[in-house]
Amino acid sequence: MQVETPHAKTLVLDVPDWPGHLPGQHVDVRLTAEDGYQSERSYSIASAPGTTDLELTVERIDDGEVSPWLTEEAQPGDQFELRGPVGGYFVWDASLEGPVLLVAGGSGLVPLMAILRHHENTGSGADLRLLLSARMLEDVLYRSELERYRDVVHLTLTREQPPPEWNGWSRRIDADMLRDVGPGADQHPHVYVCGPTPFVEEAARLLVELGHLPAAVHTERFGPSGG
Amino acid sequence: MPPISRGFRGRRQTEVDPSRLPPGQYATNDFPVLSAGPTPHTPLDEWSFTLGGAVGEAKSWTWEEFVAMPSEVVTRDIHCVTKWSKFDTEWRGVPVDRLLEGTEPWGKYMVAWCDGGYTTNLPLADVVDGKAWVAYEYAGEPLDPEHGGPARLLVPHLYFWKSAKWVRGINLAEQDEPGFWESYGYHNYGDPWKEQRYWSD
Amino acid sequence: MSIHTDGNAIAGVLEEIFGVEVTATMRVCQSCGQEHAIGAHRLYRGAGLVLRCPNCGDIAAAVATKQDEYRVKLFGTWSEELV
Repeated sequence: MQVETPHAKTLVLDVPDWPGHLPGQHVDVRLTAEDGYQSERSYSIASAPGTTDLELTVERIDDGEVSPWLTEEAQPGDQFELRGPVGGYFVWDASLEGPVLLVAGGSGLVPLMAILRHHENTGSGADLRLLLSARMLEDVLYRSELERYRDVVHLTLTREQPPPEWNGWSRRIDADMLRDVGPGADQHPHVYVCGPTPFVEEAARLLVELGHLPAAVHTERFGPSGG
Repeated sequence: MPPISRGFRGRRQTEVDPSRLPPGQYATNDFPVLSAGPTPHTPLDEWSFTLGGAVGEAKSWTWEEFVAMPSEVVTRDIHCVTKWSKFDTEWRGVPVDRLLEGTEPWGKYMVAWCDGGYTTNLPLADVVDGKAWVAYEYAGEPLDPEHGGPARLLVPHLYFWKSAKWVRGINLAEQDEPGFWESYGYHNYGDPWKEQRYWSD
Repeated sequence: MSIHTDGNAIAGVLEEIFGVEVTATMRVCQSCGQEHAIGAHRLYRGAGLVLRCPNCGDIAAAVATKQDEYRVKLFGTWSEELV
């Protein structure tokens, strides 16, 4: 268990016979209580393919059903059911040619981080850029790791009062920001957008308006609040 | 037998009177929002409720006419087929009995039809004699669109998918015709006490 | 508050039903004629699962799950290349 932010932790799982996965995929987690009561949630895989352990980054939702158990109760040795990896639409692989644009809202960064890590691990020469929208600096997942990629990572903070030392963007994503980050639609990048549903739908709408083909904009919606 | 996740309970309510909980249900203090489609937003000046089909005389009400009718406040337990039950929910609505007054219904079945295209079917016998309402307030407040506002059908003795959200009318018929979820694998009647959730229950 | 997600959220369920991954499967809508990947379709959770065309909102699939049995109705034209 690794603490990422005050609200999120990465679980490192030992999954017997894990078949491997593609960056962008997720797993379905099912918990069973002693009396047989069950709850299921999906979590994106944060780790890149090739690592022996599976990493899931879970954001603790206040009054959540599953995330409080995963982030606060679960201890090494505890068990739950896992189905996966699943997903074939929201995946990137280093064998795909062309530039890559990743657009993340909050915990939507998790599957995009798997893509970023895979890009790094494979030494892919693809032109990859990440635009991350987060409420505050302290909410940014993998912050120190993202520092290493600072030339391809663009961050915007959306909470009303950004810290005084912050001189980056401090607004919701818009067409100008997407244009600044690029690559442009004329370069036909594979675009991946992930985060809360309203964020994803707005970002996808903006991207299509900028000329990206809808089929090139892959979306994964996390629901109202996030992962 | 799946592995037990030590210490996992979920958010369900633990101290409950078991005689109020139908088989396979869990009690909750939340009011989960479930829907087969996006929330419609019909302006009240465009809203109407129609009672028609196999009746001697069809009737229709505007919103003003509808809320001007004598209504009642009722408190009931509700049971969703997705396994949550919520006790003592309070609603204000017009009893379906009152809506049927003067219509001379001769059909034995009904379909509730709604904004957004949702439908559900019921025997007429299950919405008369104080068993059903068209409700427009929940917990003393106007019914939230996410929970079916401006008005929804309320039939608490059956699984809550029968309490159709965004209801705009009731159509009586001589034949029973499955509605939305009844056509897609859910039980035609839906009695929670007999656990009639699915097609083969 | 409830809001829709998308076909990715039921990738696991659909794979159990079809035996293959289908979020990358393309579907031509019976109502509006547009083609979108299943993963891009809007997912609603009611009594069961409803998948809808991201353009016009018409139904693409309705799924009822009874323990390990599924009832599924599909609409539109779903095309999968089996490799």
